[in-house]
Amino acid sequence: MQIAHIIGGIVSIVGSLFLLLGALGIVRMPDAYNRIQAGTKATTLGTLLFLAGIGIAEPGWLPKLAVLILFILFTNPVSSHVLARAAHHIGIALTSRTVADKLREHEEAARD
Amino acid sequence: MIKKIFAFLLLIALAGVFLVVLQNYETPEELNLTAAYYAEHGAEEVGAANLVSAIVVTYRGLDTLGEVTILFLTASILSFFLKQREERGKRSVRASSELLRTASAVLVPFIFLLGAYVFINGHLSPGGGFQGGAIIASGLVLLLLTDPLRKVSSRLLARVESASGFIYVGLGIAGIFLAGGFLDSRVLPAGTFGTLLSAGLLPILYILIGLKVGTELSGLLTRFQEVQVPDGGDSPDLKKGENV
Repeated sequence: MQIAHIIGGIVSIVGSLFLLLGALGIVRMPDAYNRIQAGTKATTLGTLLFLAGIGIAEPGWLPKLAVLILFILFTNPVSSHVLARAAHHIGIALTSRTVADKLREHEEAARD
Repeated sequence: MIKKIFAFLLLIALAGVFLVVLQNYETPEELNLTAAYYAEHGAEEVGAANLVSAIVVTYRGLDTLGEVTILFLTASILSFFLKQREERGKRSVRASSELLRTASAVLVPFIFLLGAYVFINGHLSPGGGFQGGAIIASGLVLLLLTDPLRKVSSRLLARVESASGFIYVGLGIAGIFLAGGFLDSRVLPAGTFGTLLSAGLLPILYILIGLKVGTELSGLLTRFQEVQVPDGGDSPDLKKGENV
């Protein structure tokens, strides 16, 4: 019981570290798209680890936590995708260091 | 510069106010008279496992009716003003991405299910009519995001809303004749504590509130859907509207 609590606590702390990194990424990244990416990938993994840690510590809550994890896995990437696509659509500039813009290539190909 | 100084002074003043509040704060040793009554008699009188629901729907049922009315008024007033600006033209919108369409097809049924679960189990677990209704409306937001031109039957929404409101008040009046007063939940037998069919009228009232709030918010959202984006508005590319 004690060991499960310690392991779960460590996993949760690693998860919250990822959340912190995601927050740093939002401040640090050069343009909207990179920020969305940092805010999504890091927080998805962070939240998953955090919930998994709670699940290890309290195995009785695992079914509910599994539903939560599934929900986050489904919604987080989709919402950031929609945000980024909308930002691209209204023409928010990419950083000058961008090397590829596949969405624009795709749209231009569709237009021709 | 002046603005910054002013903001800083305001912050200091606020900090001072909160410091005073914090210093005068004492943790209450015991519940006050009303709360103690609810805590002692709530479970046996109402029979709801969720004491908050018991208070919100029965003891303070009249207040809940008022809240529902406020929401109704807000929705009506908003829709009145939105109607005024409405210039029905064909909106051209960009097709939403495949990812969003797939995700909403998968998620929306579960969101509606969760909303219904939250208000059906309002007397047993955290949540209730308002929360469940809001969840259902958020499912509708996802549907409208996926397809902004989707036809939502506002007549159906309005009918469900008025029917649930009417039955809610009707059951409340039934409480005057069959039990202790307006919105008394003891019209139906209390049932077994902690099961789905317990707490008398409470689950039914919560389902009605959930339906009412859900359809009200949904109706409001569909009003927003009908508003035409003005020319030269915030999305200049919207007019092009090719399928990407």
